[in-house]
Amino acid sequence: MLEIKNLHASVEGEDQEILKGVNLSIQKGEIHAIMGPNGSGKSTLSKVVSGHPEYEVTEGEILFNGEDITKLDADERAHLGLFLAFQYPVEVPGITNKTLLRESFNTIARKRGEEELDPLEFEDYLRSRLDIIDMKDEFLERSINTGFSGGEKKKNEVFQMAVLNPKLAFMDETDSGLDIDAMKMVSDGINKIAGPENAIVLITHYQRLLNYITPDFVHVMMNGRIVKSGDKSLALDLEEQGYDWLENKAVLNGESQ
Amino acid sequence: MSVAVKEKETIVNYLEGDFSAVSEVKAIAGLNQKGARNMAEFPFPTKKDEDWRFTDLRSISRNHFVPVAEAGAASVGDISQYYLSEAMKSRLVFVNGEFDADLSATEDLPNDVIIWTIAGQGDSDLVKKHLGAYTNYDEDQDVFAALNDAHFKDGAFIYVPKETKVEAPIHILNVFTDAQKTFFATPRLLFVGERFSETTIVEDHIGLADNAYLNVPVAEFKLFESAHVHHARIQRDSKKASHISRPIANLEQHAEYHSYTICLGAKLFRNDPRVIQNAEEVDFTVDALVLIDGDQIADTHSILDHRRAFANSHQLHKVVVNDSAHSIFNGKIFVAKDAQKIDSFQENRNLLLSVGGKVHTKPQLEIFADDVLCSHGATIGQLSDDEVFYLQSRGLTEQKSRELLVYAFTLESIANMKVDSVHKLLLDEVIKYTNRDEKFVAVG
Repeated sequence: MLEIKNLHASVEGEDQEILKGVNLSIQKGEIHAIMGPNGSGKSTLSKVVSGHPEYEVTEGEILFNGEDITKLDADERAHLGLFLAFQYPVEVPGITNKTLLRESFNTIARKRGEEELDPLEFEDYLRSRLDIIDMKDEFLERSINTGFSGGEKKKNEVFQMAVLNPKLAFMDETDSGLDIDAMKMVSDGINKIAGPENAIVLITHYQRLLNYITPDFVHVMMNGRIVKSGDKSLALDLEEQGYDWLENKAVLNGESQ
Repeated sequence: MSVAVKEKETIVNYLEGDFSAVSEVKAIAGLNQKGARNMAEFPFPTKKDEDWRFTDLRSISRNHFVPVAEAGAASVGDISQYYLSEAMKSRLVFVNGEFDADLSATEDLPNDVIIWTIAGQGDSDLVKKHLGAYTNYDEDQDVFAALNDAHFKDGAFIYVPKETKVEAPIHILNVFTDAQKTFFATPRLLFVGERFSETTIVEDHIGLADNAYLNVPVAEFKLFESAHVHHARIQRDSKKASHISRPIANLEQHAEYHSYTICLGAKLFRNDPRVIQNAEEVDFTVDALVLIDGDQIADTHSILDHRRAFANSHQLHKVVVNDSAHSIFNGKIFVAKDAQKIDSFQENRNLLLSVGGKVHTKPQLEIFADDVLCSHGATIGQLSDDEVFYLQSRGLTEQKSRELLVYAFTLESIANMKVDSVHKLLLDEVIKYTNRDEKFVAVG
């Protein structure tokens, strides 16, 4: 589904590379977790894959279902079925969740040549998706993320994902800042959305999310590269030993600081 | 003895017309004479004047304006599309500044409410007492208010007696037609609200064609004890017109005056709103929403004059600038020495959408009392990349994302509109401004 090959990227107009040759392959039906210390490039990877204009791909390619999407705008990638759950969801006072989601849903449907939903049909569909994340109706009528608590914002990202039904979702630290109850609710929602036809990439600092969502693969990112991949036991190793033991590996790989 | 006087620039240089002609109505004639004297006396503003530093007045000084009667103005035609459904029988129409009885309708207003033309009521003590009593334009030598004084022969006069609530909004519809020559028009409004009265006024200025003209309205609002007024002002003049206005409100105890100005049209818009607190415990609002593009200039020089203790005042001035348009805001807040316990809020938020757009903003607070709460702020910003990216990542095009964010920025200002059809027409205007797809209905 997603094939990232030797991906190098930097902030537009700056020389400093943030991604220094990332390779990653994701098939449908899989859940991946990407872990790593602060500043290792995890969030950047998710933004580059979703097409944030701040970053420039300097080398390598991103193939989504065989198509090179490196040059596509963020909205075109969303039309293909990519989704990014933001680490810091943006507040848009004045525009309701419902309004945004209807516009998003119908734009994506239109671009894919699928049928758009009229306001009443969409309302029904929207309500049917509320259960996934145990959200109240009133959320639909509230301005996007405006005045939401940190936990509510993260829940809202999962809700948007439930409505838009992406093929591949990058979830950037969706777990950070959540208390235990919210964490369960969010993980529950993600587990309900995950299925054989889609794929999910969890970006996280903490192993605790992986107590609720079982990843098929765990990757460790350091210094702009994936330095180790394994199964879920790798997350436990990291929890016990931290990242220091991998630091040497990064240098051994020939990356100079 | 003769004194050599260097010939100075006055507004008279750009006008044609006989300013010695005065109204037959005494109250108006007095103002006509005073206005004519002031016009000849006051210097035409230049960029050396602090209050006109950033405002390019060439759309006036490079033109020549004639009175409407000499302009070869087109007839007005059907303007029913501009009527407000709530004000079908509470409407005064002025065409190029002159009252049109056929298009006006006032059946919905309570019998004791006087709503008609100033000339028609010119001999009443009320008009004699209030007309021209509040403009106070001499001290800042406002040549445009002087022009209005000198030239107006009629205008809207609204008198709401005590303890009267006017249910229907009163729509004052000023329309401007196409003409062979550029003309000047001087709409005049006098409102007097007695004790415990309650009124909603929608003051509308609409250019029916895309011709150049000079619109210099003056509005005076006198609110007696506990009178309440909601005053919506919509400026939709032609994009080649100049609109220079001076709306004044003078408030007695417990009065509430809330005004919301929407600026959409005119090549040059200059607005000098003033609110004067004449007694304790008043509450007032001087909000505005400015949406400009092309080479439009919108300049607001406001004065919120707190002269007595206990007042709440609110000024949210929101501006969106595109292309090479230019916004100027100078918000003066005065608090007199003994005017304690004033709670005044001022905020100017500017959204700059283009490289060529310009914004000048200057909050100006002069506070001589020591127990007051006055907050003020001014921001100039662009749409943030993160906001645009967020919406784009949800599948909206970049264009649509930007439009949606501009739309969201304006909503706060429109939300206060009390009259539903005004609310709706402003949403439509915002959509037009942001060029959005008609299919998209934004407010959920």
